[in-house]
Amino acid sequence: MGGSELLQFVISGLKNGSIYALVSLGFTIVYASTGVINFAQGEFYMLGGMFSVWAFATFGLPLWLAAIVGILLTAATGILFELLAIRPRKDGDQLSLIIITIGGSLLLSSLARHLFGPDELAIPAFTSGPSVRVFGAAIERQTLWIWGLTITAVVILNWVYNKTKLGRALRACAINRDAARLVGVDTRLIVTVSFALAAALGGLAGLSVAPLTQTAFDAGARVGVKGFAAAILGGLGNPIAAVAGGLMLGLIESMSIAYLSSTYKDAISLLVLLLVLFVRPQGLFSRSRREKV
Amino acid sequence: MRRGVLKFAPLAIGSLVVACMPLLVDDRYLLKVLSFVAINVVIVTGLALLFGYAGQISLGHAAFYGIGAYASGYATTTLGLPWIVGLIAAILLSALGGVLLALPSLRLKGHYLAMATLGFGEIMRIAFVEAQPITGGPDGLGSIPYPSIGSFEMSAPVGTYLLAWGAAGLTLLLATNIVRQRPGRAMRALHGSELGAMACGIDIVGLKVRVFTVSAVLAGVAGSLYAHLVGFVSPSTFSLHFSVILIAMAVLGGSGSLAGPFVATALLTLLPFADAIIPGLSRDALALIQDWEADVYGLIIILVMLFAPGGVAGMLRRRRRGAGVRP
Repeated sequence: MGGSELLQFVISGLKNGSIYALVSLGFTIVYASTGVINFAQGEFYMLGGMFSVWAFATFGLPLWLAAIVGILLTAATGILFELLAIRPRKDGDQLSLIIITIGGSLLLSSLARHLFGPDELAIPAFTSGPSVRVFGAAIERQTLWIWGLTITAVVILNWVYNKTKLGRALRACAINRDAARLVGVDTRLIVTVSFALAAALGGLAGLSVAPLTQTAFDAGARVGVKGFAAAILGGLGNPIAAVAGGLMLGLIESMSIAYLSSTYKDAISLLVLLLVLFVRPQGLFSRSRREKV
Repeated sequence: MRRGVLKFAPLAIGSLVVACMPLLVDDRYLLKVLSFVAINVVIVTGLALLFGYAGQISLGHAAFYGIGAYASGYATTTLGLPWIVGLIAAILLSALGGVLLALPSLRLKGHYLAMATLGFGEIMRIAFVEAQPITGGPDGLGSIPYPSIGSFEMSAPVGTYLLAWGAAGLTLLLATNIVRQRPGRAMRALHGSELGAMACGIDIVGLKVRVFTVSAVLAGVAGSLYAHLVGFVSPSTFSLHFSVILIAMAVLGGSGSLAGPFVATALLTLLPFADAIIPGLSRDALALIQDWEADVYGLIIILVMLFAPGGVAGMLRRRRRGAGVRP
């Protein structure tokens, strides 16, 4: 395989990897504030694409506005889901919350089918024009958008986490919820905020990739599993590791296409997921913790 | 003594009604739908042991169902072996799958276990699509014969109906025996606290492997029954969607019970076939129910977890207590 061909695969891997990184950040943020994995995270990815298509095609909004509407509506869905389905379960029992998010995933995807129909939908690329050529490899303009938006989202998130009062509260909750409540953090609000953030990130991922791969009501679960694989590859609860895990998974996938076959792309990322779960469930970048009574 | 007899009266009458159903009604469609109920009872009873008693979640049960269906289908069509060999193949292969998944899953719990089983299920689904020489790929595997022993064929609807309900009855008997005895108590202890159960001297590893395997085998048996009843299997049946529907049945049924999941399975299985039990149901109403089926399953999972964590079993328990029957 030539150098430019290999580069092409790396580019495609980093493109998908950015998407996985955004979805996996959503997993990480909700996990940090609630201690559970949100199985409906993939549905936020699906909704981001669907809401944008809807705002663009049905209401004729300009593309940039449709994208913002898509993110806001997805975030609103995340808030609604938390208020209606997560918050009423006051004891925060983990197994129950996991099952609730599994039900939520099924409910959100089938509601999306009723709202947007069963067909595959797409929006045009954010900027039109030919691909950019770098060392013999072609980069689609939308890929540049995906990278730019992912970097922007990570930078903003980093700023919120490290420089704002909200970020301090989010970090405090991640370390110890009870202790955070004792020093006056409104932990219930923090859970709602984390769902909004996770939904917005998932929505951003879904709408930025919607021009390249069409989106449909059942697109969420597949990407959700990959986002989780990315989160677990890095180690749950660590945002930087989540991004690294996402990019790594994207590269692994595209290398498996380059050297094996595209048939097994999905199976490869599932195998990575199982391998990490069975061998190093704490992730590549974290130390293990033992359970105490 | 009299109370003992009374206790078994509903069970005996229920079994009698189920067994005599083919004599009472002459409706192919209804008998087929009721056979689906029996098949789902087999698989959900297995899930109730794993999830409701031992507290271990599985989002991969559709895969064991598929393993059973394909094993049975491949053995009886391509290999031309008798039905009973197909059934044994289904049992052995799903048991193997159960052990394979159980061993690494011993280290995992909660969402890790949920994701691992989900990943296993999806990998198996991809395998069902890609292993064309065995599974027929996306087109599926067709013309699977009815179950038969020698020249005696159990054809649809009556033969398969009786076979499916016989299997469901045996499954319930087996499960009742498991939960009433030592393993049942050990499973409940495991559900309560893993470390606590270990401290009580329960062999957690052996228990988990056994309950995973029993649960997988029951799913495999159900898959085999399904393959021979429908005569055709394709990968889309064994999706994550089906695993989640099974979770909905187990959750609605409630934990620590076999009767609850039985009732819930019957209710949720009959939902998309409502026209079989409600004779006057219009076609539009049925289409509406089927269109909103998935939404209903999702909503049921959420509502039960929020407002009635005991599910049907909890309601049954409360009624019994309300009636003042105390031992």
